[in-house]
Amino acid sequence: MTLIGLLRILTIASAAFSFAALVFLISHTFAFGRREYLSAPRGYAGNGIIYAFGRGMLEKESVALHRPTFIGGILYHGAIFAGLLYLFWTVLLPKIGPPLWAFRPVLLAGAAVGMSLLIKRAAKPHLRRLSCPDDFFANLFVDVFLVLAFAHTVFPSLEPVLLFVSILLFAYIPLGKIRHCFFFFYTRFVFGLHYGRRGALPGSSREA
Amino acid sequence: MELTPVKKDPYEEKLQHLTDADIALILAEFRRRFRSADVAAVHTCVRCGLCADACHYYLTNGELEDLPAYKLNLVVGVFKRHFTTAGKLFGRWTGAKKLDAAMVREWVDALFGRCRGCGRCTIKFTTGINIHALIRAARGALAAAGLVPPELQSTVMTAVEQGNNMGIPRQEWLDTVAWIEEELQAETGDPQARIPIDAKGARLLYTVNPREPKFFPLSLLAAAKLFYAAGESWTFSSDYYDVTNYGLYSGDDAHAGLLSDRLVKAREDLGAEVLVLGECGHGFASTRWEAPQWLNKRFPFPVRSVLEVAADYVRAGQISLDPSRNPKPITLHDPCNLVRLGGVIEEQRYLLKKAAANFIEMTPNRQKNYCCGGGGGQLAMTRYAKRRLASGRIKAEQIRKTEAKIVVAPCHNCIDQLTELSREYKLGTEVKTVIEVVADAIVLPRKTSKS
Repeated sequence: MTLIGLLRILTIASAAFSFAALVFLISHTFAFGRREYLSAPRGYAGNGIIYAFGRGMLEKESVALHRPTFIGGILYHGAIFAGLLYLFWTVLLPKIGPPLWAFRPVLLAGAAVGMSLLIKRAAKPHLRRLSCPDDFFANLFVDVFLVLAFAHTVFPSLEPVLLFVSILLFAYIPLGKIRHCFFFFYTRFVFGLHYGRRGALPGSSREA
Repeated sequence: MELTPVKKDPYEEKLQHLTDADIALILAEFRRRFRSADVAAVHTCVRCGLCADACHYYLTNGELEDLPAYKLNLVVGVFKRHFTTAGKLFGRWTGAKKLDAAMVREWVDALFGRCRGCGRCTIKFTTGINIHALIRAARGALAAAGLVPPELQSTVMTAVEQGNNMGIPRQEWLDTVAWIEEELQAETGDPQARIPIDAKGARLLYTVNPREPKFFPLSLLAAAKLFYAAGESWTFSSDYYDVTNYGLYSGDDAHAGLLSDRLVKAREDLGAEVLVLGECGHGFASTRWEAPQWLNKRFPFPVRSVLEVAADYVRAGQISLDPSRNPKPITLHDPCNLVRLGGVIEEQRYLLKKAAANFIEMTPNRQKNYCCGGGGGQLAMTRYAKRRLASGRIKAEQIRKTEAKIVVAPCHNCIDQLTELSREYKLGTEVKTVIEVVADAIVLPRKTSKS
């Protein structure tokens, strides 16, 4: 077996480990039990959940007050998913190469935004003091992944390096803050449910 | 010269001499309170710091310790360290924090002294993590070890031991109601006007903040006038009329449940159809939303705010209002527990638009409204009074910009804080409840006025 072949298998294995560990983490989380709501609802939980994932995402004051960070955050997360898609495309369908013209700008922009977020975290005193080492490391790790993914679109010979970093990244995901990739959605769902049934979110009240 | 020995603060003493058993007790209670949504929150916060602009403490004080994410991470950090594998293995790398005496002290300062539990960071910022609920879980864990600041704890215990948080003796309550009944008769010109006490089978059981009989009896008169004008069948309970529940703030579910259960049983004993909560933000959140959880049962009866009831009267034409009787410019403060966390958002606006000639909204308002700084047990915890007043600066500026002469707040904790803010920041505003404004605008039926 070639080195590339071995690394491709290890990449898939590492991704599978990451997925399995995340599933374990999720099952561990749900083992704490669900909170049953016993109070009579005053609003529509469904509307609250729709709000939480729709208008509620855009109406946040954090969006209005920090628009560059918000747009940068969307770009960054979009680029990460694009990077993963690019990686799996490269590993699983090496004969049908990914459309490089589509991936290049996204990956490059994502890496730039990621680096700027890292600089912001290091430069702002309160943000720096609030952060733990994982905050810096995870950000840097993902930025390196995006830079390598972009570099690979230009220099295909970098594939072993990209795969090696990807293997480490997948192994790290369940251990550090990157795990929020799942938990964000669950937290947002619970937010919509909890305040939607109280009628406290716009469009969720049964009364007014 | 003989020196007088300095009296030691027993609370400080306790904090200085925490035992391993205390820490174990705190951790056990902390763990017991976590459900899947709370654990998910532990893994959700990425410490982006965007919640900073949500918090009136941070905006007015600007210390790192005021940042919602900082307070949240004190709580979830301890959970990570003690109850997650990554936290146990990698410790500080992942932000995990060991609960020791220093951390307990930090918890007390940050969670009791720098958080109102207003929920603004949850609703309008971040990813929707229920930050105030996690902070309450930690407060509850401290309560299990007897570490609630004593001024707050004594408010809880006064209610538990004496039936209301002001320690009003039963006879004083009955005398006050009798006096207000006379005032109602004078106001309505109807000698038959009554304020019923323990009336079996009344449709509504009405509960109030004990500050009303103690300091603001005109609030009682306003509610009595409202029910009188609407021809409502209602009653007070002679024993359990206290809508407040400081167990919500101390985090102590057992006492909180006990206090709520008294209202539930009073309604049951009197056979009332509806439990109506007076103008009290945290009282509403406690009895309407939390009490079923504390008591682990569904309530087979409606629990409603008096604002909802009053709005129904207006909509149904049971009372008529003349807004010209309230000519001064009026603005409205949205109590966090009633509005942002409670869902009663439009009723008070509907009432004020009908009852006042010049109603002006604050900016921002409704769910986005800033906390006044009076809740979360802050008014009781005098040790944090300076912070409380400083954190109210944003609210004071909001009020000033409206140029209103009257600030209306459907919550007596807020009213106390807004009254202090008016003095502190020289606003020159009068503070009233919504029902007081509505009562002033009520047009009584002519035949009743004549009689």
